[in-house]
Amino acid sequence: MSTVTLDKLTKIYPNGFQAITELSLTLEDGEFLVLVGPSGCGKSTALRMIAGLEDISSGDLYVGERRLNDVQPKDRDIAMVFQSYALYPQMTVAENIGFPLKLRKISRKDRQEQVHQAAEILELTEQLEKKPAQLSGGQRQRVAMGRAIVRRPALFLMDEPLSNLDAKLRVQMRADIAGIQRELGVTTFYVTHDQVEAMTMGDRVAVIKDGILQQAAAPEALYENPDNVFVAAFIGSPSMNLYEATLTEADGDYRLSLGDQALSVPDRVVAARPALRDYLGQPLVVGFRPEDLEDSAVVPDHPDNQRLETEIAVREALGAETLAHFSIAAPSVDSGDPDALDELGDEESSRCTARFSAATRVRVGDRVRVNVSTERLHFFDRKTHLAIRS
Amino acid sequence: MRRSSTLSRIGLHATMLVLVVWSILPFIWTFQTSIKFTRDVAAKKPVLWGYETTANAYRAFWLDEDDINMWSVLVYILVVTVICLILGQIGRRVRHSWPWFTAAVGVIFVALWRFPKVWEVNDEYDFLINSIVVTVLTMLISLSIGLLAGYGLARYTGISGAVILIVALGFRALPRTAFVLPYFFGAKEIDDWLASSGVGSWDFPLIDFPGIDTLQILDTRLAIVLALVAVNQPFTIWMFRSFFMEVPKEIEEAAMMDGATRLQAFRRVIIPMMWPAIIATGLFTMLLAYNEYLFVRVLAPTEWTLPVAIVSLTGGESSRTITEAAAASVSITLPIVVVIILFQKHLVKGLGAGAVKG
Repeated sequence: MSTVTLDKLTKIYPNGFQAITELSLTLEDGEFLVLVGPSGCGKSTALRMIAGLEDISSGDLYVGERRLNDVQPKDRDIAMVFQSYALYPQMTVAENIGFPLKLRKISRKDRQEQVHQAAEILELTEQLEKKPAQLSGGQRQRVAMGRAIVRRPALFLMDEPLSNLDAKLRVQMRADIAGIQRELGVTTFYVTHDQVEAMTMGDRVAVIKDGILQQAAAPEALYENPDNVFVAAFIGSPSMNLYEATLTEADGDYRLSLGDQALSVPDRVVAARPALRDYLGQPLVVGFRPEDLEDSAVVPDHPDNQRLETEIAVREALGAETLAHFSIAAPSVDSGDPDALDELGDEESSRCTARFSAATRVRVGDRVRVNVSTERLHFFDRKTHLAIRS
Repeated sequence: MRRSSTLSRIGLHATMLVLVVWSILPFIWTFQTSIKFTRDVAAKKPVLWGYETTANAYRAFWLDEDDINMWSVLVYILVVTVICLILGQIGRRVRHSWPWFTAAVGVIFVALWRFPKVWEVNDEYDFLINSIVVTVLTMLISLSIGLLAGYGLARYTGISGAVILIVALGFRALPRTAFVLPYFFGAKEIDDWLASSGVGSWDFPLIDFPGIDTLQILDTRLAIVLALVAVNQPFTIWMFRSFFMEVPKEIEEAAMMDGATRLQAFRRVIIPMMWPAIIATGLFTMLLAYNEYLFVRVLAPTEWTLPVAIVSLTGGESSRTITEAAAASVSITLPIVVVIILFQKHLVKGLGAGAVKG
């Protein structure tokens, strides 16, 4: 078991493309760190550099005290689970799991014992004599896990291991993998593009975009205090609503103009962020999460000047809650997520998603008043996209 | 609806029947000729059935004795074949199959080695041995080079790899006849140099083959093998490359993460996945080497292989040589038919593998 240190890891391909720029991260012993980002952001490259399958252009990689930059993959004591599982088709499940041990010249008897242990953890004991082709997707995934855990490496690398599973199985395996990792206590570096996976599995989540680390923090911290617009929009589903707005002060009251509407902002909100005073009268980016909006018919007890008035465009009843989509007459902000759907909207109006409680009776076309929890607004600089917090 | 589908099915089967008869008829004719007496072969009106059978032609082609009961030879061959098939079947079913396959090869080797000690054989028996040596060596060398080159070219995507592949394809497209004379003159140049420089008559302690006192290339089995390997290499490289292209790169990477060197990953993970490809490519190479006529005729004027030996018999008009040629044809075809039947599943799989992933 060991800590893993990435010190300004950089990857520049021969064609000049810079896939990773000075990625610095430290994984504590036994930590489950999830690296998450949109497709093509370099997260798999980062993982492959740690594995030794890609050269490190500059920067250092340490596992424990050992610098691994120039160590062969086989000597790194790192196990990896591939997105495609990469099982050996001609070997049985037992041979697949035992292969790393066989290469380490572990005796047949010890090997069998360890393979059985791993198979028990993964509930594969029944399948040991089958070939990968005879297994279901979930079982193959478990075999790939088995091959990684059987030799108790210093570090697990997982490259989107759940992306080939169907949705239901994915939810189950998510919990299983996290459970196994906790049981074994092996430091784990997990790559995914699915922010739900990241939030549910990771002790800590690192968000990366265009090869640059945006923020690394515990899932709750990431959700509550995103460092910039990208993290704010990327983490959370549905995404945070982000608009250009202007904060003004009149007679000691703060008002946020959002297009043709305005919200009163409590003093406490500004007091908690002294830097906001520098932005008075200037355009900035404001964000609020869908759950910070509520149908005023459901919660009538809300200050009148902290409400938006709008017309419901789309309604999705999910049972436990209802998602309502409507438009707000304020310019939207491009978060920079290439995977995000093109927002419905233009210069003047943009889409807003609200998560109403199931008690709501709104229908498409209704004009409703929407409560905004102004205490929970997020503010960002319009140019740098950085959070305004201090 | 039903009627037309029945009709079309009958049509289909009739067509297939015609095609089967069409392809098998020459072989039946040859077989009949090989077991007829010369008077029936020479008859003006073909004797199609009811003729007296004999193994004279086989005896005359292979053996240097007149009063051998050919049934004993047939029993010898059948026993060897059955033993090999049994060993092979066991080998396919058990976990550690290599000892069984090796044993089968050993049985064939011993049978071939003992045969001339039991019966007096003609020169043609040497040509059979030549055929086997040339075929096996050509297969071994072509497959080894093809595997390594195919793997390299599948994984390396630079421009020089593409150039090599296109050049190889170009060579493949040229007619074989375009190569044979250059090979001949090249080999002759080397032989002349070996002779004039004296290197050819050096005493090499380690390669002191019995019966060889001078080193030369022309008129040796080596010449045939080298030429056939060169001609066949583009095919094996392309074949293996297309198979390797279908092996995901992650599998090697997984092996390396599991603790294998690149070579170990290749040998213990990739090669075992390639057996269908190796068998298919091996069979095609075998057919090429075993059936080769032109190169053998030109590069080895006296070290013949069986096809040349047969052709030498077909020139005459005498019905005696015709039955002998027929007997020879049947003798050299049967082993190949057996091998193809045993491996035809892999042959088809190998041919189809390039098309569909799976």
